[in-house]
Parts: sequence; C-alpha cells; structure tokens
Amino acid sequence: MNMTLKTVVIGSLLVLAAVVFVMVIMPYADTNKTTPSEIFRERSPAEAAGRAFYIANGCVYCHSQSIRKVDWGLGAERIAQAGDYLADHPILLGSARTGPDLSQEGGEHPNDWQIAHFINPRYTRPLSIMPAFAFLGMENLKQLTTYVQSLGLKHADKRMERQRLWKKEAIKAYERGPVANVKWLHEQVPEGWRKLPNPYPTTDAGLARGHKIYQDFCLGCHGPIGDGMGPAQPYLYPPPLNFTIVKDRGISGGILYYQIMNGITGTAMPYFKRELESEKIWDVGNYVAVYFINQTDADTEPKGIDASYEP
Amino acid sequence: MTGESQAITQNYATAKGFCITSAFWMVVATFMGLLGATELMAPDLLENVGWLVFGRVRPIHINLVLFGFVTPGLLSAAFYYVPKLLRTDLYSEKLGKITVFAWNVTLVAAVVSLAMGKTQGREYAELIWPIDMMVVAAFSLVIINIIMTVKQRREPILYVSVWYVCAAVILTAITYGLGNIIWKPSSGALVGIPDAIILWFYGHNVFGLLLTPLSAGVTYYVIPKACRAPLYSHTLSLWGFWSLLVVYTHIGTHHLLQVPVPTWLKVIAIVDSNAMVIPVMAFLINIWYTAKGKLGEIHADIGAKFVFTGTIMYFFVSIQGSMMSLPDVQRVTHFNNWVVAHAHLGVLGFAGMIALGGIYYILPRMTGRPLYSRLLAVFQYWMILIGTVGFTVVLTIAGLIQGNAWLNGETVYRILPQIHVYYVTRAALGLMIFSSAVIGFYNIIRSMFFSPGETS
Repeated sequence: MNMTLKTVVIGSLLVLAAVVFVMVIMPYADTNKTTPSEIFRERSPAEAAGRAFYIANGCVYCHSQSIRKVDWGLGAERIAQAGDYLADHPILLGSARTGPDLSQEGGEHPNDWQIAHFINPRYTRPLSIMPAFAFLGMENLKQLTTYVQSLGLKHADKRMERQRLWKKEAIKAYERGPVANVKWLHEQVPEGWRKLPNPYPTTDAGLARGHKIYQDFCLGCHGPIGDGMGPAQPYLYPPPLNFTIVKDRGISGGILYYQIMNGITGTAMPYFKRELESEKIWDVGNYVAVYFINQTDADTEPKGIDASYEP
Repeated sequence: MTGESQAITQNYATAKGFCITSAFWMVVATFMGLLGATELMAPDLLENVGWLVFGRVRPIHINLVLFGFVTPGLLSAAFYYVPKLLRTDLYSEKLGKITVFAWNVTLVAAVVSLAMGKTQGREYAELIWPIDMMVVAAFSLVIINIIMTVKQRREPILYVSVWYVCAAVILTAITYGLGNIIWKPSSGALVGIPDAIILWFYGHNVFGLLLTPLSAGVTYYVIPKACRAPLYSHTLSLWGFWSLLVVYTHIGTHHLLQVPVPTWLKVIAIVDSNAMVIPVMAFLINIWYTAKGKLGEIHADIGAKFVFTGTIMYFFVSIQGSMMSLPDVQRVTHFNNWVVAHAHLGVLGFAGMIALGGIYYILPRMTGRPLYSRLLAVFQYWMILIGTVGFTVVLTIAGLIQGNAWLNGETVYRILPQIHVYYVTRAALGLMIFSSAVIGFYNIIRSMFFSPGETS
C-alpha cells in the first residue's frame, strides 16, 4: 500500500466519517426519541440554578447519577432508565463513586441536614472525605440543596412531601418541651418494639464496638458526650436529641434499635439500616444507653432463648 | 528508515517550545494530581479554599496532563522528527512559535476558568466554549504546519510516524469539536443519553486518536534510530495504523455498559474493545521485533529507555482495558479506583513515558550537546516507573476492595476507612511523581539553555 499524504488524510477522514455515522449518528437517531419515564418531570428554575453549582464545583467527579442492576445502596430500588435524563443538559452520569450515587438523594434527608452536611460533611458524617462547601455561602448552598432535593424527580417530590409533613410534627413536639418531645418520639415507634429490651448482655467488647460505631456515625450530631451538641447542631432544627433527657421516660433497647434502623423522618436523624447490621445497631444502642442515658435494659426480661454465642 | 543526511537548517524553535511547554505543565499537572490525592486523604486540609476544592482540582489535573504535559511532549518530538524524516525544514518555525504561544495561552485560560468553576461539567470536555475554540485553533495551526511540511518534502516516502502525526492532529481537531458540541456555545452539551454517548465517543478518542497515535509516532521514530536497525515490518505498520483508526474509535461506549444505551451499541463497544488486540499487537510486535537483540542500545539512550518502557506499559494497559470492557469484570471495576489505576497506567505509564522519552531523545540532538545530567533523567525515569507501577498496584487493590464490597451490598461510606491507607500510599507515590517532574523540568531547562554538557 502506497501511503501518500492523500491516502493518509482522506483515508483517515473516511474512516472517521464512517465511525461517526455508526457510533454517534445512529445512536442519536436511536436514543433521541426516548420518552419520559414514570418519574420524569421538568426542573424548576431554582433547581436548575442549584444544578449549576453542582456542575461548577465538580460534584460529578465523585457522585454518579446512574443506578445499575448490580447496585444495593441508595436508589437501588429503581434501575435508571433513559427517560429519567430528559432534562439533563449536560447529563451527569459520573464515572466514579468516591461518594454515593445521588440518583435518588432527593428527600432522603431534610434540608437542614443537607445544609449542615455542605457546611462540612464531617459534621453529619464523620468518616466522609467530601470537601467542605461553606465557601459557597448560605444562599448558594440553599440553591444547591434545592437541586439535590430534586434528585429522583417525582420520587424525590414524594419523599420531600413526607419530610415536610413530619418536620412540622417533629418541631411541634420539640417545642412542647422535653417530656412531650420524648413521649412523641416514643409514640412513633410501633408498640412491640417499645416493650422490647436489648436482648444481649452488656459486655466490654459490645461497648467497645458500640463506641466505634457511635464515633463513625453519630458523633457529628449527638456530640462526643451524647448531649446533642455535635458540630452539626447549630444547623439542625429540631436539634439533635440530648440523650440524658430520656432517662426514666420509657426508653428501651427496642426503641433505640428501631430509631437507629429506621431514622426519624422530618428530623435530621437518618436511617442506618443499609449501613449497620443488626448486632452493630444493638451495640451502639446499648453504648448510648449505658454511657449517655445511664439506664440500660440489656439482658432483662422478656428476652426469650439466649443467643447461642452469649457467654 | 530513510536517510537524513541532507543538511537541515532548522533551529528547532517549535520543538523546543513544545518541549519546555510539556516540562513546565508536567510540574503543574502533577502538582494538581498530588493536591487532589492529598485532599482525598485529608479533606479539610484546604477547607473552604473554593478554587482548590477537589471537584475543580481534578479537571485541572486531567486537562493539564492531557493537553499540557503529554500532548505537547509528543508534539515536541513530532516537530523534530517530521521535518527530519521528510528531509526538509519545518514549513514555518514562526507559525510554530505562534502555535506554542497560543497553546500556552489556552492552557492558562483553561486553568483559570476551571479554578473559577467555569466548566461545562463533562469529563474531558470541561472547557468552556471560547477555550474550546482556542484548542481547535491551536490544533489547526499544528495541522497547517505539519501538512505544509509534508507537502514541501524532499523525501518521497512517508514514514509511518508521519502518518500517525497527520491522522492524530487532523482527527483530534474534528472529534474535539464534535465531543465538545461546539455548535452549542452556551452549554457545550446535548440533552440526556445522547450527550453521554457523544461525550464518551470523544472522551475515549482523546486516547485513541491523539495520545496513542502520537505516542506510536514517537516510538516508530525513536526505537529504530536508537537500535540502528530497520523497522521490522512495513505490513505491520500498515495494519497497526489502519486498524487503530477503525477499532479504537468504536470503543468509547464501554464507559456506558451499565447505562440505558442501546444494546447494539454496547455490543460494538465490547467487541471492538477486545479487537484492540489487533492494533496493539501489530504495533508492539513491530517495535519489539525491531528492538530484538538490541536492548543494550536502548538501555544506553535514556530517551529510548523511556519510550521502550512506555511500550511495555502499553501492552499491560491495553490488555487490561480489553478485559475491563467485559461486563462481568466491569461489575466489579466500574466507578472505583481500579479505573483510576488504569488511567494512570495508560496516560502516565504509556503516553507520558513516551512523551518524556521523545523529549530526552531529541533534546541533545537539538542542542548538539549532551543532556545537562543523564543521572537526573535516569532518576526521573525510576521515580516515574516506581510511581506508575505503585499507583497501579495500590489503586487496583483499593478498587477491588470497593468494587467487591459494593457488589456485596456495603455502602460507599462504610468502605471509606478501608481504602484510606491506599489513598495515603497513593499520595506518597504522587509526591514522587511530582518531584520527578520538578527534576525533569530543571534538567530540561539546564540542558536547553545552560548546559556545557557532561564531560563523561
């Protein structure tokens, strides 16, 4: 083959033209007629403005918006469809999960949790390696939050409605004072759980595990001594629970377990069912009960058959 | 290889300009990488320094590595060897100097705009429209200079390196415009899934149509010269060149295997990702057989040593890349540090090594003096080799931990403490690579302007 300048240039251009036809134009014809998915809606101007901050600060480099068949975590209830992305200009699928996928982040937490988390992510998530975004200023953070709370579109709207409903209730209860607040909090736990003591005995090993879990997950809001004065506290309303006030007010291992597992929607308290296995929840609950509440029902009746591993 | 005996009057201003450009921006680019790595390890180190937040540092690092360090390094060699191979002068050193100037202005604009958060938010296509236009213009200047040089040649036969340079700059100017959607200045993006498809078509072609052909061009020049041996096979050159253009351009969609894009597109991407073995091995067999029995000569020339090591890295990164396109493998490797390891093995280990090799090969030949310090160049070689291999090992382990944990239902947050130690190690290796860039810059500047040359 005689490689002249003409052969090289025209040959290369012909190859590229053919490939562009197959790899760009044909897929465009194929995907351009995508119809909206059942969760799709257009974005409000405020959400679009928040999205501009998301783009400007490179959130896409650590957070995907792309739920796959093999995923388990946040948003995995629903695999992404082409029709979810019809308002995404540009699309922000992302290529790394240095942080979690955010496809369905909207409504996962209330706004005040999001703000505290943006001010410094370690305030709410002590192990996070996300940068602090306080430098954006409160107004911009609110816009960014508006966008993040829309992720998941119609599904996010449903969750946000739920957050707003329970936020009102939680604030009402908090403002009625500690006694009424604790009563309200406990009433939200199904009765069976309320009567359930922590079935495992208090052990040094269990407390050590609970301590570790507390530091990794709880400390940012509830504070190192459990008084609800963690670094996130100034941003949260109702503020994080001061554990000392629940003593002698009907607290049980079951209530702690249920609240840690399920979160308290409307407040900044998230659910931890995805991150903590059963034993870790019992352990951290008992750590809180022993050290901060100073009242534990661990290993009291009724508890059924002892677990085979108990000493 | 054709003779180059005829007197050449050129002063290499363009090649030298790109050489300094590459050496300088390598320092900045690796510093940005080191900074990003440090932020992953100590996230509050630069708390609330907005323009150095990780999400802005990362695109600065990547754009500078691609367009500040590696591409200018490879172009520097190209501006040296294209006229040599064609037994003529460069069409215009003046145009070349303007190109170098425009290129550097573009890079400064890129850094400033990204640090300010002016970005289009698309990986490898972040730069805003005015800077996109500057990039296309800079490439156009390179195209004019190269094509006109080819036209005024006194050597009738075009050597394989020249094919690669011509194809690389022409096709990249086009795909850059396509991928950056330059006909939509305000957003530089399409909407929804089509945006992802065209983005990754372009994104992968940064490697397929720019870094790889330019690296192949340098390799095809340096290895036979250093070995003083004829190229092993013209047929393999042809196979390697055309199959690279055909196959590499089809594989971008392997970034989207877990995304709702048409299945037929994924099938093409997977098949062609594995067909990459054809261009890769055609090139490598050709080079390795040329060098057969002559490793002593390669070892003796630090430039050739960089280049040859780059070819070995190319082998590994290509095999790995083909493997990663398999859906079963990608279930584990996608979205985590495995991919970061792959990227560093390819861009630093393969294209970066060859860019440095090209620079160190042509530098003494341009100045007519030995390098200021061969020792520093060898030191840099080992720092980068250890750094790259270390990166690959450490980040691959981190990626496997992440990928397998996620597949077993662990959340991203739970895995952060497990990979912390690998982030620390990676930052330490990054410090080595950054230091080597500083040493390299010093050595190159001394060699070019001040060197009396080593006496030995």
